Amino acid sequence: MLTTLRYALAQFRGQILGWGLGVAALGLILVPFYDVFMEQQADFMQMLESYPPEFLAFFGGDAASMATPSGYLGMYGFSMLPVIVGIFAVIAGSGLLASDEESGRLDLIVAHPVSRAALFWGRLAGFMVSAVAILILGWLGFSVLLGGSSLDVSWGEMALPFLPVLAQALCYGALALLFSMFLPARRLAATAAGLVMVASYFLSSMATLNENLATVARFLPYHYFQGSDAMNGLNFAWFLGLVAASTVLALLAWWRFQRRDIRVGGEGGWRLPSLTRGLRRRAEAQ
Amino acid sequence: MSDNMVLMTQGLSKSYGKVRALRGVDLEVYRGEIFGFLGPNGAGKTTTIRCLLDLIRPDGGDVRVLGIDPQADPVAVQGRTGYLPGELALNDNLTAERQLRFFADMRGGKADWTFVRQLAERLDLDLKRPIKNLSKGNKQKVGVIQALMHQPELLMLDEPNSGLDPLMQQEVLGLLREAKSDGATVFFSSHIMSEVEAVAERVAIIRRGKIAEVAETASLVDRGLRRATVRFKEPVDSGLLARLPGVQVLSRDDGLSVVLQVEGEMDEFIKVLGSLPVSYLDTARPSLEEVFLAYYEAGHDHKEEI
Repeated sequence: MLTTLRYALAQFRGQILGWGLGVAALGLILVPFYDVFMEQQADFMQMLESYPPEFLAFFGGDAASMATPSGYLGMYGFSMLPVIVGIFAVIAGSGLLASDEESGRLDLIVAHPVSRAALFWGRLAGFMVSAVAILILGWLGFSVLLGGSSLDVSWGEMALPFLPVLAQALCYGALALLFSMFLPARRLAATAAGLVMVASYFLSSMATLNENLATVARFLPYHYFQGSDAMNGLNFAWFLGLVAASTVLALLAWWRFQRRDIRVGGEGGWRLPSLTRGLRRRAEAQ
Repeated sequence: MSDNMVLMTQGLSKSYGKVRALRGVDLEVYRGEIFGFLGPNGAGKTTTIRCLLDLIRPDGGDVRVLGIDPQADPVAVQGRTGYLPGELALNDNLTAERQLRFFADMRGGKADWTFVRQLAERLDLDLKRPIKNLSKGNKQKVGVIQALMHQPELLMLDEPNSGLDPLMQQEVLGLLREAKSDGATVFFSSHIMSEVEAVAERVAIIRRGKIAEVAETASLVDRGLRRATVRFKEPVDSGLLARLPGVQVLSRDDGLSVVLQVEGEMDEFIKVLGSLPVSYLDTARPSLEEVFLAYYEAGHDHKEEI
């Protein structure tokens, strides 16, 4: 399993740097900008109050809360991080095994004396370590300029909102992995998991305005995203709940991987219903 | 299963949806032999090999590889086996050497790197070149090396000479012979009869997911199948010969020459020929290819399901 983990991490190197530096860059811009924001607070508040409440709902608050460090970081940074890091998670999770399978490489890899369990958990561990590494880089980007900023946030407090982001990333990654074990193509699995992620973001955000949506949103991961509020105290129940849900999804994916055929050349795949194929068959039958 | 038996399947079956790829494959391969697995594209060769390595799960039947059920303990089987897939896919971003080191690491570092370099030299492969810059044949050489580099007890090779030039094909066949002389068992699939005839001691012919024949290569070739070319002094009714049991007309020229395939005893055939004005008679032992084709001609259905 350690060999698999080592090679998985080597494969994720580029993504860790790319996504990690991207999130860090967001922090490096946002933190110094807070002072400008405070200087121009009156104008910003006027601008924010002119926004429709539906728009503000996507950024997790109302105009009044934006002036606090937590509200400011939540609106401009942490409200979007689950989607940004979620894109990495969906791409990485759906391709964790399926990209090698689609290219035909998995056939030879599984023929080596590494159990399917070791391969699965080794690669999943590689994904998890990569997600943590991306968020550590991001946290450094958000924290390194705190000393020169009027944001009254310590490095430790800044680390707390990254934990709910991590839980979201694990959840979407595990979901994409599970889909890739059942669906015939990696791209389809990524699309399905991506749809869940986007729907989760929109429905959960809108649920703050429409109570009818709250019933549906309760079943979606973003509903349990604490964001920058975690600076005031991490909601462990939500965090652990999402980690537990990710674990269940990963266990289901593993159960499926243990039992399924390793595909090459489209074996075991299934095709979506095609109207033209049905008509063609009918024509051939006649 | 006796200790001498390295590979055994009984009633092995596998379907992909409605397509029945294997319909009860029975095979026995013994320690130290080179066993050729023959069949046209889609006959079930690859599916059989992939079941043996637990890459796909059979629907029914029993499988034992090196005395182990591959579904119960795949790692034990895979650790003692070298496998070359029919459709080899490698990591284009690595060099040949990095790719081979990856495979060695997946085996817990169990590879003799001096041996790897010897193999690369014999196969004329530059290990420093990136996979993406290698031709199909050179990628195949990487595949052959990874199957051999840990000197396994059992080699399962799916079309090992695919994409290789004739010189390299001979080199690979030589490597298989050497592996056998070092005590390994070689099970390889092919649809190139000449290479099977050159190295395999026994062959199985698979047709539409069932074993049509298992025999020693020499006996299969020798088995009563002859090709007879007959020229007559004057036009005759070759139907007299064609109506004999086991005789099939392959070609006919101007009523004076006829090429026939004769299966089984030739006594009756020669008696009928004796009553005809024969000016020339030549009989030849067919190649394994002709024996193989005979299984797919003479009324056999050519249509395969996968």
